[in-house]
Amino acid sequence: MSSESSKKRKPKVIRSDGAPAEGKRNRSDTEQAIEIEERRIQSCVHFMTLKKLNRLAHIRLKKGRDQTHEAKQKVDAYHLQLQNLLYEVMHLQKEITKCLEFKSKHEEIDLVSLEEFYKEAPPDISKAEVTMGDPHQQTLARLDWELEQRKRLAEKYRECLSNKEKILKEIEVKKEYLSSLQPRLNSIMQASLPVQEYLFMPFDQAHKQYETARHLPPPLYVLFVQATAYGQACDKTLSVAIEGSVDEAKALFKPPEDSQDDESDSDAEEEQTTKRRRPTLGVQLDDKRKEMLKRHPLSVMLDLKCKDDSVLHLTFYYLMNLNIMTVKAKVTTAMELITPISAGDLLSPDSVLSCLYPGDHGKKTPNPANQYQFDKVGILTLSDYVLELGHPYLWVQKLGGLHFPKEQPQQTVIADHSLSASHMETTMKLLKTRVQSRLALHKQFASLEHGIVPVTSDCQYLFPAKVVSRLVKWVTIAHEDYMELHFTKDIVDAGLAGDTNLYYMALIERGTAKLQAAVVLNPGYSSIPPIFQLCLNWKGEKTNSNDDNIRAMEGEVNVCYKELCGPWPSHQLLTNQLQRLCVLLDVYLETESHDDSVEGPKEFPQEKMCLRLFRGPSRMKPFKYNHPQGFFSHR
Amino acid sequence: MERAVPLAVPLGQTEVFQALQRLHMTIFSQSVSPCGKFLAAGNNYGQIAIFSLSAALSSEAKEESKKPVVTFQAHDGPVYSMVSTDRHLLSAGDGEVKAWLWAEMLKKGCKELWRRQPPYRTSLEVPEINALLLVPKENSLILAGGDCQLHTMDLETGTFTRVLRGHTDYIHCLALRERSPEVLSGGEDGAVRLWDLRTAKEVQTIEVYKHEECSRPHNGRWIGCLATDSDWMVCGGGPALTLWHLRSSTPTTIFPIRAPQKHVTFYQDLILSAGQGRCVNQWQLSGELKAQVPGSSPGLLSLSLNQQPAAPECKVLTAAGNSCRVDVFTNLGYRAFSLSF
Repeated sequence: MSSESSKKRKPKVIRSDGAPAEGKRNRSDTEQAIEIEERRIQSCVHFMTLKKLNRLAHIRLKKGRDQTHEAKQKVDAYHLQLQNLLYEVMHLQKEITKCLEFKSKHEEIDLVSLEEFYKEAPPDISKAEVTMGDPHQQTLARLDWELEQRKRLAEKYRECLSNKEKILKEIEVKKEYLSSLQPRLNSIMQASLPVQEYLFMPFDQAHKQYETARHLPPPLYVLFVQATAYGQACDKTLSVAIEGSVDEAKALFKPPEDSQDDESDSDAEEEQTTKRRRPTLGVQLDDKRKEMLKRHPLSVMLDLKCKDDSVLHLTFYYLMNLNIMTVKAKVTTAMELITPISAGDLLSPDSVLSCLYPGDHGKKTPNPANQYQFDKVGILTLSDYVLELGHPYLWVQKLGGLHFPKEQPQQTVIADHSLSASHMETTMKLLKTRVQSRLALHKQFASLEHGIVPVTSDCQYLFPAKVVSRLVKWVTIAHEDYMELHFTKDIVDAGLAGDTNLYYMALIERGTAKLQAAVVLNPGYSSIPPIFQLCLNWKGEKTNSNDDNIRAMEGEVNVCYKELCGPWPSHQLLTNQLQRLCVLLDVYLETESHDDSVEGPKEFPQEKMCLRLFRGPSRMKPFKYNHPQGFFSHR
Repeated sequence: MERAVPLAVPLGQTEVFQALQRLHMTIFSQSVSPCGKFLAAGNNYGQIAIFSLSAALSSEAKEESKKPVVTFQAHDGPVYSMVSTDRHLLSAGDGEVKAWLWAEMLKKGCKELWRRQPPYRTSLEVPEINALLLVPKENSLILAGGDCQLHTMDLETGTFTRVLRGHTDYIHCLALRERSPEVLSGGEDGAVRLWDLRTAKEVQTIEVYKHEECSRPHNGRWIGCLATDSDWMVCGGGPALTLWHLRSSTPTTIFPIRAPQKHVTFYQDLILSAGQGRCVNQWQLSGELKAQVPGSSPGLLSLSLNQQPAAPECKVLTAAGNSCRVDVFTNLGYRAFSLSF
């Protein structure tokens, strides 16, 4: 208000000052000086009031600002606090989540199941009462138990390790001891050699043989092992030896560099020689053949001793390129044998082992792959070389463990011990029976050639006391001759007369009657019987095609041979059959009905006791001899 | 003389034995089944084999069809004769006769239905039965053989009703004369005797060897085979094969064959005979040889004509003898094939 008034006053002052100025100039200098003083004092007061007001305004402003500032400070502080708290909350939440997510390592351990735990843990760990209710305590207890178990196992492990160390040390010690023994044993063996010889216990010899055996090719090795084993276990009469040069065997396996050097040398040499003289194609082929048929330098020899002191010597060879084994056989007897003419082939090395098993003639190579090899070098068949190489029988391959499947060439045939073992016993037995039967035949042939049928005393019961027909001739005949005979057609057609058999002709005579008997002797005698075919020349020629009785006689010896076998081994079969033929001829001739139209008495009076002379629609004669009554009857 | 050599098969003991058995086998008797489709053959080892004629004759016959359907051991001794009734096969050999059911025989392991032994006088040796004859009117069976007698057995009861004695040596063959009824028997003593079945007495005797035209003393006097056609009879054996007129007991035709005949039969208007020698001979009644058909066995012992009405496609003549084979003739002119044991 005062300011307003001061403001109002001013302009008044001015106006007033203006107007009156002219009128009153005289009144005026003093009154003007006093009014100017008054107005100046008024203006100073006004100035002072203005200043005061200004000051007041400023002070109020400042106050206001201070208040605002304070409030603002407070708000900021609260704000900060809020922020802090929020931050803490967030932090705590994070912590909580972290804690919740925390996978303690103990959860990765597979603890034993609860039941087991309660069963196994000792009560001071399991603390059942506490832990049952409290899962935390339970887990703690289980962890405790786990720790306990692990400690115990670690203990055990350490103990075992230490044990192992101890034992290893012991082994070391013993090994050293043993190795120190070796040179001492050698010296003992050397010293014991003379004692061995003195006591006939050739261990050293056997040892040496095993050393040599190491150089044998696989099939011969299999044979050697199996034969030695069999000889020791089952059969004391079998002895095995190795023959041949070990150095040559070692030479076969020279290392390749040496042989390459040799080859290059020999190539150079060959070039030189070819310049001088080319070997002919035939000689080359011959060399190739020799190479193909080459034998391994070592061979295995088996000696089979039979009861009568005769020995069968078998030498087994291995043909390397053909992968087959062959055998050469020789029979030696205790006494010198005088070979009768007909027995020439019986013991010949070529044929004594023929057809040991049915069909095993040993003339063809059993390895189908060999055919291709033969074609390359122009060998037709192995049978040409069989005499010098030995026979490649199938049983020989089996003894060496070589198994050749029929007709199918296989990649490689390796020697197999089990095959050899399974065949060893049968083959050895067959070999022995073969040798013995051949020797028996040998003796019998000697007697037969002199016209005597050697019937042993234990077979006498098969025949009557008086036999008039006599064996006059016993000879061998050739296979072709047998086939040409007119009365052997049936046997040939039935396939029973192969070229592996031996053929003989016997002649039995009585008075004017002559009976020819052609005999087929199978190599498998005496399990396979000899086969007889008869031709009787008496009042005409009678054979099985025109006389039923001749056929019946053949049947008596061929089909009913089992009665004639005699005691085992049936070596008497052939001689009994011949004797029976003599008896049958007697019966035939004596029971022939007398022809009323011809004059004169019967040539052969009946001496045999027969119940009936003829029987049956074919009017058979009584050929069956009954022992001990001694009469003849029909079958 | 070059001969083709058969391939030698590796033969073990059993194969050799079987081959030898077959070589020495003789088939003595044959009989056709009532249905006409099967043939039974008996051999000297006592075995009977049943062959299926229908299979062997069919167009798809293979090698196995010519083998027996079944073979079994029937007797201990040879099976000398067999005869078939409408359901049974009767076989006889070593002293006894056995009966088999045809329907059962094709199965393995069949057993005989019954067996009978006629009452023999001697006990030292069991005589063989060489011939069996069926008398359909009386439903009885006549057996004859080694004991020189004819025995009659009633087939229903199995009892032996009559014994006909008269032969002095063993009997080879029998034949039936339907009209009277009379039985003819031929034996080793060289006589053909006629017996009347009602009176059980010998009615007529023909001693063949006493007639000069037919006797052949170098062969013997035995009568090996007989066949009769009421008024006519043909017989052979040691003496020549002769056709006789029974009422007058005179030989009307002598057939010119030297080999002794072991089986003879009338067929339509022919006479078929077989014996030593490979062939089946066909004769006209006048004595002319119509045909001689060779078989596969060196000697024949029995002929069998399959005339069963039930199987007309199996109408064949079969011949068997000194081998393991039975020759089958579909047409009398040639041998079609052989069945083999």
